[in-house]
Amino acid sequence: MALTGRTGLLAVLGAVVLVIVPSWWTLLAVDGVIVALVVADLVLAGNVRRLRLHRSGDTNVRLGEEATVALIVENPGPRRLRARLRDAWPPSAGSSPRTVTVTIPPGERRRVETRLVPTRRGDRAAVAVTVRSYGPLGLAARQLNRAAPWTVRVLPAFPSRRHLPAKLARLRELTGQHVALIRGQGTEFDSLREYVDGDDVRSIDWRATARRGDVVVRTWRPERDRRIYLVLDTGRTAAGRVGDIPRLDCSMDAALLLGALASRAGDRVDLLAYDRRVRARVEGVSRTEVLTAMVRAMAPLEPELIEADAAGMVSTLLSRVRQRCLVVLLTDLNTTAIEEGLLPLLPQLTAKHLVVVAAVSDPRVTEMAAARGDAAALYDAAAAERARADRRRVTVELRKYGVEVVDAPPDEIAPALADAYLSLKAAGRL
Amino acid sequence: MTALQAPPVGEPATAGQVARRRWRRSRGILVAVLALLVLGVLLALMRPRTGSETLDPDSPGQQGARALAEITRRHGTPVTVVHRASDAADRLRAQPDSVLVVVRSERLVAADLTTLRGAPGDRLLVTPSSETLTALAPGVEAAGSAWGVPEPGCTLPAAAYAGDADFLGATTYKARGEATQCYFDGLGGAGLVQLPVGGATVTVLGSSRALMNEHLAEHGNAALAMNLIEGRARVVWLMPDLPAPGSGGHKSFAELLPFGVKLAVLQIVIAVVLVALWRSRRLGPVVVEPLPVVVRSAEAVEGRARLYRSRRAADRAAEALRAGALERLTALLGMPRSAASDPAMAAEIVAAVAAHTGREQAVVGAALYGPPPVDDAGLVSLAGVLDDLERLVRNS
Repeated sequence: MALTGRTGLLAVLGAVVLVIVPSWWTLLAVDGVIVALVVADLVLAGNVRRLRLHRSGDTNVRLGEEATVALIVENPGPRRLRARLRDAWPPSAGSSPRTVTVTIPPGERRRVETRLVPTRRGDRAAVAVTVRSYGPLGLAARQLNRAAPWTVRVLPAFPSRRHLPAKLARLRELTGQHVALIRGQGTEFDSLREYVDGDDVRSIDWRATARRGDVVVRTWRPERDRRIYLVLDTGRTAAGRVGDIPRLDCSMDAALLLGALASRAGDRVDLLAYDRRVRARVEGVSRTEVLTAMVRAMAPLEPELIEADAAGMVSTLLSRVRQRCLVVLLTDLNTTAIEEGLLPLLPQLTAKHLVVVAAVSDPRVTEMAAARGDAAALYDAAAAERARADRRRVTVELRKYGVEVVDAPPDEIAPALADAYLSLKAAGRL
Repeated sequence: MTALQAPPVGEPATAGQVARRRWRRSRGILVAVLALLVLGVLLALMRPRTGSETLDPDSPGQQGARALAEITRRHGTPVTVVHRASDAADRLRAQPDSVLVVVRSERLVAADLTTLRGAPGDRLLVTPSSETLTALAPGVEAAGSAWGVPEPGCTLPAAAYAGDADFLGATTYKARGEATQCYFDGLGGAGLVQLPVGGATVTVLGSSRALMNEHLAEHGNAALAMNLIEGRARVVWLMPDLPAPGSGGHKSFAELLPFGVKLAVLQIVIAVVLVALWRSRRLGPVVVEPLPVVVRSAEAVEGRARLYRSRRAADRAAEALRAGALERLTALLGMPRSAASDPAMAAEIVAAVAAHTGREQAVVGAALYGPPPVDDAGLVSLAGVLDDLERLVRNS
C-alpha cells in the first residue's frame, strides 16, 4: 500500500480540530476517522493483482534510434482502476515517460506506450511494471510490482553503412573490369562465350571450340566463395574509449562494413568474438542473412577487463577453419599485447591464412603530438610521439610476418579496412 | 486509447510549462496553508482580548465592569474592590456571608490561591486559570470553547431567570460529582458550573463578555451576572495586581502551553509521519545496471606526458620529438624506413635536410643529433627548430 499527500493534509487539519476541541477523545476520533478513510480507500481501490498485462512493440532497435514498446493493461475487475503506472527499464534504455496516469473502467483495457532511446548497445530487459492504484478518495493506494517481460536488443549503430554504396561501386568496377581477364592468380573460371574481335587468343578454349564448331573463349572473374574470418578482440584493449566510443564499437562498425561488402562480393563471412573464451560466433550463415546475424551477435558484446588470450584465439581459429581464408583481426596495436601475445603465434596463422590486423588509432594522440606552445604542451607532444613510435614499431614487426596492417582513426577505420579488402581482392591475394 | 500525456521525448519543457506544472502540483498545499492561516486569524480575532482594564470594576471602558459594580451597589449590595488576595481573605473573614468575585485569575500565584482557599464564603470565578480551578473548584476542568448565545438548559435559578447569555468565545467546563451545569456548548461542555465546595458555593463562569460594560445590556447578560453575585452581604471583587516578578514560581514552557496545543503538536507529529510514509514509498524498485568502464584510450599517453613534466625530463622528451621528426623527414626525403633509427645514416640525413632547407649543416645536425636540452626553454626552442625544418622540407 501507499499513502498520498492528502492523508497528511487531513492529519494537519485534524490538528486544527484538536486546538478547538482539546481532548484525548478528539485525538482518537480524528485519527480513527483518518484510519477508517484510508482503509475504506484501500478496500475500494481497483485490484492490481488481477490486472492483465501484455506487451507488444519493437524488439530490435539500432543504437541512437527510437523504439516504442506498448504495454496493454487490461482491467478484468469490477472496480474502476485509477492508477499511476511506472514501466521500469534500466537507465541506459532511456525510457520515457517515467510514470503515466491511467484510468481504466472495469472490463476495459488501455495502451501505455514507452519510448526507448537507448544510450548503449546490448539487451535491455524491462524490469517491472509498478501499478499504484488509488482509492476513490485519493487517500491511499494499493501498490504492486508486476512482471511484464520484454527485451529490446540494441544493435550497433553501424554508422559506416553510408560508405557501403561507394565501396560496392568500387567492387562492381573491379568485377566488371576483370570479366574478360586473362587467366591469372586470384581469378577463377566464369563462363564460355563466343569469340569477339579483340579477345586474347590465349583465352580460347580449344576443346569447346572443337565441340561447337565456333570459336569460344573462356572468361574469368575474381575469385568468389573465399572465406573471411572476422575476429573481434573483446579484451581490455577494446574497452578504452576513443573519442567517446569504446574501441570495440569502432571495431564492430568496421567489421560490419567489411561483412556487408564481402557478402555482396560473394565471399563467406564468419565472425568470432574472443578474449579468453568465445564471446560470440557467427558461422555458416547464408550471404543474405550474415549481416543480420552479425549485428545480432554483436549487440550484447561488452569489452572484458582481462588480457586477451592470443594463443587461445589462434588455436580456436585454427581448429575451426581448414581451408585458406582471410583472417581480419580487429584489435589494438598495443605494444605489450601484440609483442607478447600475438607475434610468437603469427607464423602458425600466416602459414595457412592471410592475416589483416585492423586497429583503431586515437585522434587524441595525434592532437597531442601536434601540440606546441609551452613546455607542458611539448611534453604532451613528446609522449604522443613516443606512443606513435611504439605503434610504428609494432606495425613494422607485424608486416615482417606478411600481415597487412590497417591503422586508422575511428571515423576512417571502416572505409580503410574495406579498401584494404578490395585491394587484396583486386590483387587476387584472397 | 493511449494514456500518454507527457510531452514528447526530447522536447524540453518551456519555462511556462514548468511553472504551470509546479503550480498544479503545489496549489493544493498552498490552498490548505492559506485556509489554515485564515482560520487562525479568525480564531485570534474572535477570542476576547484582554487589556489592563478588562473586568476592572473601576473602569468605565468597553471591557471594564464598572456598570455591573455600580448596578450592584445601587441595588444595595456594597461592592468592595480589592487588589490583593490577602485583603480579600480578610474581608471575607470579617463578613463570611460575602461573595468573592475572582477575575483575571491568571495573575494569582500559588500562595494567593492557598490564602483564598482558606477564606470562607461563596465564590464566582470568571474565566479562571487552570491552577485557580484546581485550587478553588476541584473537579472542574476546562473542556473547550463555546460559540454563540446558548439557552441555560438547567434548573439553576440564577441562569433560568436570566435566559440566554453571551458565550461567544467563552471557555466551557466539565465537572465531576454533584455540580450543576448550564449553557452547554453542544459537545458536553458547560459555560457555567456551580458546585458546592466545603459548605460554600463555587460558581465557574466561562464567559467574561457577559460582565463587560460593552455587552452587559445584551441578551440576559446583566441578569445572569446580577443573579450570580447579588443577595449577599457584600461583594468582594478581587482584581489582582500583577504579581511581583519571581513570585509566581517557575513554570516550564510545557506547563504554559494549553492542552489543545499539546494535542495538536502530537497530531502534527502523526501528520509528519504520514507525510514521511507518503514520500518514502517508491513507485517501483530502484533499477540497477552494470555500467561500462570508462577508460580513455589515450590515458596511458597522457600519464606519460605528466610523468615527463613532473620530472622535467627535457632530454627524454627531446629524444622522442627528434625520433618523430626524423621519421617524417626521412619519409619526405624518400629514404628507407629504417634510416631514421640508424645512427650510421646520420650524416647523410643531415646533409639531405640541409640541402633541402638551405640551413647550415651544423645547425641541422645540432637540431637532429645534438646534445639534448637541459631545461624547458631548450626543449621549446628545439621543438621550434624541428618544426621549422619539417615545414621547409615539406615545402621544398
